[in-house]
Amino acid sequence: MPAVKKLFFGSGQRPLRQQLAITLAGILSLSILISILLLNILFGWQARQLIDQRAAFFMDAMLSVREYTSKKVNPILAPLNQGAGLFRPEAVPSYSAQTVAGLLKGKPEFREYSYREAAINPTNLRDKADSFETGVIEAFRRNPSLKIQSGEKSTPLGTVHYVAQPIKVGKESCLVCHSTPDRAPASQLLAYGDTGGFGWKLNEIVGTQIVTVPQAAVFMAKDRSLLLTAALLVVAFGVVGVVMNAVLDRLILRPMRDISRKADEASVTPATVNFEERERRDEIGLLARSFERMKQSLAISMQMLKDRQGKA
Amino acid sequence: MRRLLIVLSLVLGACAAGPSDQQALCGPSGRLRVGLVGSEEGRRGSAGVILAEQEQFKLQELLMASSRCDVLLEPVLSSEQARLRLRNREWDLAFLPPGLTAVALEQEGQFSLVRQLGRRQNSKSQLIVRADSRFKTRADLRGTRLGLLPRGSLTGFYLPLFNLHGLTLSRVGYELTYQDLMQGLQNGKFDVIAWDGALSTQGTDIRIIHEDTHAIPLGALALSQPLLAQDYKPFVQKLDDNVSQLPPSLGYATGMIPDLLMLQELRAIVSKVEGWSLPQAGQPYVVYGTPSRSMPGEGPR
Repeated sequence: MPAVKKLFFGSGQRPLRQQLAITLAGILSLSILISILLLNILFGWQARQLIDQRAAFFMDAMLSVREYTSKKVNPILAPLNQGAGLFRPEAVPSYSAQTVAGLLKGKPEFREYSYREAAINPTNLRDKADSFETGVIEAFRRNPSLKIQSGEKSTPLGTVHYVAQPIKVGKESCLVCHSTPDRAPASQLLAYGDTGGFGWKLNEIVGTQIVTVPQAAVFMAKDRSLLLTAALLVVAFGVVGVVMNAVLDRLILRPMRDISRKADEASVTPATVNFEERERRDEIGLLARSFERMKQSLAISMQMLKDRQGKA
Repeated sequence: MRRLLIVLSLVLGACAAGPSDQQALCGPSGRLRVGLVGSEEGRRGSAGVILAEQEQFKLQELLMASSRCDVLLEPVLSSEQARLRLRNREWDLAFLPPGLTAVALEQEGQFSLVRQLGRRQNSKSQLIVRADSRFKTRADLRGTRLGLLPRGSLTGFYLPLFNLHGLTLSRVGYELTYQDLMQGLQNGKFDVIAWDGALSTQGTDIRIIHEDTHAIPLGALALSQPLLAQDYKPFVQKLDDNVSQLPPSLGYATGMIPDLLMLQELRAIVSKVEGWSLPQAGQPYVVYGTPSRSMPGEGPR
């Protein structure tokens, strides 16, 4: 610790300019380090906020698609599905939401987003909940007041942030397709069979809507911003250091060196030396005036000495 | 735990293999949409599904680790649904039985076959009636109720219709599996049904009215053009290397490319029947070669 103190505050063992450079570099480095640490926390918090915001927006968009399908599309298409003809999945809110999410995913900016409606016992086996999704659904079932779950999920492709909401059988009309095969439209049975997606009960939580948004890209962007900010801080503090050093040199060190040189000359030939700096009104002027007085005293003393030697 | 280790070993293997193997094989939608119909037509496992739950997830994880892309695996029981997916290009790759393999090849070069699926068995398209039925020949089937598998099946749809050309049927009905067709035959819902000669009739008294002479080829793993335009070989190689992780019921044949010559004649039949006006569910039907007037996206009704 004393060594650090000596390094930063000096012990008069090195030129003042060098000491100033060391002290300034130390202070600025410490400032940069603290700034980066604080900025890292701030940027991290902002990145997390951004991820949450994107997930919430994506989820809201999909919920809107579901609602539109349920209110506007299903009433038109549902009668067509009653016969034994081709089943029209466009009538199903889950299908439309997942299809829209698929189309969005086709765009490069949404490539790493995903939306899934997973169920323990789905009609379309594509929607069968995996072990992770089953855990999410079970948590919703255990705690019916739980409206949202979020966190990180590890996949073979990396870690993603997920937000999940429960799918609850809220309407009696849902049970037409999901209670017993004999109530289901013939077209549905011919398309998906009579084994999956039945036995649902009113108000039962049967699945979950899961949005996953990429976090690697957001955190990479955060790290890039942090690196750029750090670089800018280093450059800015570096410039400040150099300028401060130059200013100190011009304001203090150079006049002090000049006064020191003149004081040396004055010790030999005081009459030829002139401390012009005494006109200044700052501390350098004060020092120059002191030396001027000392020079004049020295000149008088030397004159008195000469006079005494002449009389002798 | 075992699944996790498999995925971990695949991912680590992929990481160790070098940068060229890191390239993701995705479809135009940014993920890999996989259709799973299986290698056989009109059958499903003991749980009433194509693959057991664990097998389905294991397959999905293997595909994800091999392609390094988000996988959307869709098991489909109905060959008609699968046919529409193929036609609408909703799948990037598909595990298909023979009929749908032929359908995939008819999609203006949109699909190519990269691996053979299934095991050699004596599949033959048959038309069967109950043993006590008064129908003895194909000509007797005029005015009968016919049970078929959905459009897209070779032994359950295309070949039976091809062999009944010229007949007038009083009603055509569909079932998802041969088991359901047999049940329909036994309980009097159908007079005659399509049947696969490789299946056991389990002691039920039936009579074969007609057996088609065509040898039924095996199924195939088909890849769509957007995947074929990419470097898909490392992906297929990884499937070959991890064949033990694939569900045995798929019958994935390492290194075996399907024989297109075997499919040639059957493709012609599929193409011909597809050109007809096809039967609607529950409606009378005259098996005539009139050009199809069905709307895009529509199948049998």
